[in-house]
Formats: sequence, structure tokens, C-alpha cells
Amino acid sequence: MTLASVSTASAGGAVKLQASRVGMRFKSEQTGASVEALRDIDLRVRAGEFLTIVGPSGCGKTTFLRVLAGLIKPTEGSVSLDGAAIDGPNPSVGFVFQSDNLMPWRNIRDNVGFGPEVRGEPARSWKPRVNDLLDLVGLTGFADSYPHQLSGGMRQRVNLARALAIEPEVLLMDEPFGALDAQTREIMQDELLRIWRETGNTVVFITHQIDEAIFLADRVLILAARPGRVQEILDINIPRPRSLEVKRTPEFGALVDHVWRGIERQVRASIRDEQRARPS
Amino acid sequence: MNGKIATANLGRLSTTPALARLNLRRLYTAHKSGALGLASMLGGLALWEIAARWIVQDKLFLVAPSDMIVRLMELTRTGEIQQHTITSGVEFLVGFAIAGLVGVAGGLALGVSPLARALATPWVSAFNSTPTVALSPLLILWFGIGLLSKVVVVFIVSVFSVLVNTQAGVEGADERLVETARAFGARRSQIFLKVLLPSAVPFIVAGLRLGVGRALVGVVVAELFGATSGLGYLITTSSQVFDMGALFAAVTILAIAGVASTELIRVVEKRLAPWRQR
Repeated sequence: MTLASVSTASAGGAVKLQASRVGMRFKSEQTGASVEALRDIDLRVRAGEFLTIVGPSGCGKTTFLRVLAGLIKPTEGSVSLDGAAIDGPNPSVGFVFQSDNLMPWRNIRDNVGFGPEVRGEPARSWKPRVNDLLDLVGLTGFADSYPHQLSGGMRQRVNLARALAIEPEVLLMDEPFGALDAQTREIMQDELLRIWRETGNTVVFITHQIDEAIFLADRVLILAARPGRVQEILDINIPRPRSLEVKRTPEFGALVDHVWRGIERQVRASIRDEQRARPS
Repeated sequence: MNGKIATANLGRLSTTPALARLNLRRLYTAHKSGALGLASMLGGLALWEIAARWIVQDKLFLVAPSDMIVRLMELTRTGEIQQHTITSGVEFLVGFAIAGLVGVAGGLALGVSPLARALATPWVSAFNSTPTVALSPLLILWFGIGLLSKVVVVFIVSVFSVLVNTQAGVEGADERLVETARAFGARRSQIFLKVLLPSAVPFIVAGLRLGVGRALVGVVVAELFGATSGLGYLITTSSQVFDMGALFAAVTILAIAGVASTELIRVVEKRLAPWRQR
């Protein structure tokens, strides 16, 4: 049995999130020149699906996620959620940021409760939910701590719990484990899959770590850089529930190899660009 | 049996001094900087006393701390010092309270509104970099020698440190936290109340701390130029009659007020911004 196959569009399941010919142009502040960050991205994410996006740095991964979140408007094409156009932050979309972005003046309970609070939900209604979420992400007993008292891994769990507190149908995650050490990262991947199973969310997860992308995903979207565009979408057929051991199998290694070959040339190109840009 | 109890008691007795020494040492390590500060103050006062009593030996030139304390007690007995302290205290409190309110409100407005910022920035920088205390004689002329003129002087000299710091606090708010709030659907007013304002709190407190010092100087200078009561007035009149004990007594009270209000603000900061204590 092969563990991956090139995706044949979006077979089965209702479409939750859709991007149609999304393009994005920025005006560079220094040169005033127009930079094309995204071109012609077509994507359908099925309800309950776990989709990961990998690509070289500068391929517009974060930009695309911000478009899906309604934080910025694409200059071309459109995005929709359950068939309705997205034109601003949506109450059923939770965003997990790359840096944890916790508010230092709020304790953990109030950080997690930020979303419900902003929506005007009364505290007595969200506080029990926050406690459940802290249990879910393994932070029982930390409700009254402040962010600076927690480790990086714990803060990322809070970041995730905060996104879950609004009871989202879609979770958008922007390299949430990027700043963690390798061991913590593996544990967090395992935990994330467990939480995803329990909540049944639709997840779009950005990473630059190829093994992370494959381990988590139903499908991996490989973005090409400059401008960011879809290079390949790969179905991952590793049976679930998955344990971390699967990463040690030769089949998994072959998958990583395949994805790596897909983006290697671009990564090398982007390193060359960076070296050229750096003053000697 | 009796003997046994006696030796036990003896044993306990003999450990008591050692225990006391230990506690003193622990007390010292726990409050090291405070203890050193106190020792430094006492040492300075002793040097001052020695210099005044045996080296300078001229009460007009340099009055000894002990003489000043005697004079302070006399003035307390007659009730003069209380009256002056209350006068200056009211001027300080009213002026600084208004400066705090206006400074914080203005700083917040300048922090969030580009229009207000564009209109006010030249004025703010001009006033902030001018020693406005020099305007005191003019303000006394305009507002009389009563409470009002002192309040105005205190306000003008202290409001800009609060305002400039508050504005810096709002402008320095972490852009990522603002975007986080936006992603969770926060409205502009919520972003202001839940992100910008808390971000600015440490800066507001820093501005208040700077403002306190300036406000105290403002009180004294305003009273120098025309007053009928107050610590600045006491300083002027006692220097005219060469009553150096009274002069130093007034200065000492001002110093204590300065230290006390700075400490008070520190306590408030601990309450309002506990996340700043690492």
C-alpha cells in the first residue's frame, strides 16, 4: 500500500473552506515596486480535514493564511467559508499565531477567555469552558499563572487553547511549533492530533518542517515561491490514529524525500537570494 | 530529673544568641539594598553633622542636622510647619492630580489619533523641552498669589512628562497583540481598552514618577515668586532672616514628600502591572 498519492481535487466530504484563484500583490514600502506574493491559488478544504502547507521561506504561506482568516483581503480572487465570502475575521475561525502573542497583563485564564470576552459572552459562561480547555491542552492548575511564568511549549498550548475557546469550526495555525525545541515539538504534534480528534475541527496548518507536515496531514499542499502558488497537493494515506513511531518507518522517509525534492530547488534559490540581498 | 531539665534549659539558653545572630543575618540578606541605603543615609548625616559642628563652625554657612531637627520641633510646636506643609500639599495634590488626568487622557488621545498627533506634536515638544518653571512669575501675575497660580504652575511643569510617556506607551504597543485582538473579532474600542491601554500602563507610571519630581519643584518655585504660606514661602522668608534651621527643615520635608510619593507610585505600579515584576 502506498502512503501517498497526488491528490485528485477534493474528493468526498463537504467543502468547508475554499480559495478561488487567490492572488495578492503588495506595494513594497522601500522601493514602491509591486511585489506578487500569491498567484492563482485554488484550494478546497473539506470539513474535518487536516491540511498542512509547506514551502520555502518567502513563499507566502503566512500571507495565504491571513487571507483565509479574513485579516487581509486578496487583491485577486476570493475566499469563502461554508460558501459565504470571507470579508473579515470570522467568529467560527480560530487563529493560532506563530509567536504565542499572549497578553502579558492577563493571567492564563483571561488570555484563553479573550475571544469569548470580546464577543460579550458573560464570564460565568466561558470560565468553565476555559478550565476544560486547560485540561485538554495539559495545563490544569495554571489558570492563575501569568505568561512569563510559563515555558515556550506551555505558552503555545495556551495559544492553542485560546483559539479553541471560541469553539471554532476551522483552526488556522501559523507555524505554531516553530519556536519549540525538537522534543517538545514532537510531543505537541502528538497532542495536537489528539485534540483534533476530540474536537473534529477543520485545520489548516502551516509549517516549514516537512516531517511535521506529513505526520499531521490528510493532505499536504506544497507551495512554490515567488510568487506563492500551488506546486502539488499530496494525499497522505497513513492510517490514523498515528503515533510518533510512524516517522521512523521507511515509507515515511520516502514521503519526506518526495516532498523535499519538490521544494529543494526553491529553497536553494531563496538561500541564494538572501545571500545576494545581504550586504557583504 | 531536675538536673536534666536544667541542662536542657541551659542548652536552649546558650543557643538563643546564636539564633538571634542568624535571624539578623537573614534579615540583612533579605533587605540588603534597604539596609545599605539606610546605612548610607545615616553615614551621610553623620558626616554632615561633623562638618557643620567641627569644621565649618558657622551656622549661617552650614547648619548641622541636629540643629535643624531642634528647629523643626519648635516649628511643629507653634504649628507653623504644619500650616506650610498643608498649603504646599494642597497645591501639589490639586495641580498634580489635574496634570495626571489631563496627561493620561491627552497622551492616550495623541497615541490613537493621527490627527490629534499632527496638530499637537509641535506644541507638546516645545513645552516639553522648555523649562516652563521659568514662566512662574508671569503665571503669578495672571492668576494671583493664591492657590490657583500654584496649581497652574504645578500643572504646567508636570503634565508633559505624563503626556509624552503615555503617548509613547500607546504607540509602543505590540503590533502582534493588536492583530491577535483583531483576529478574535475585537472592535476598535475593545482594542483600545484591552490592548493599547494595558500596554501603556508601565509607561504611564513612569511618566507619573517623573512628573512628581517636577511638580514638587513647581510648588516651591511658584511660592518663591509670591505667596503668603507654604514650604517655598518658608524657605524664602527663613533665608531672608538667616534662619538656616527652618530653611533646611522645609527642604527636608520636601525631600521626604518626594521619596514618599515615588514609593507610593511604585506600590501602585506593582498593583497595576504585576507582570512587570520578573
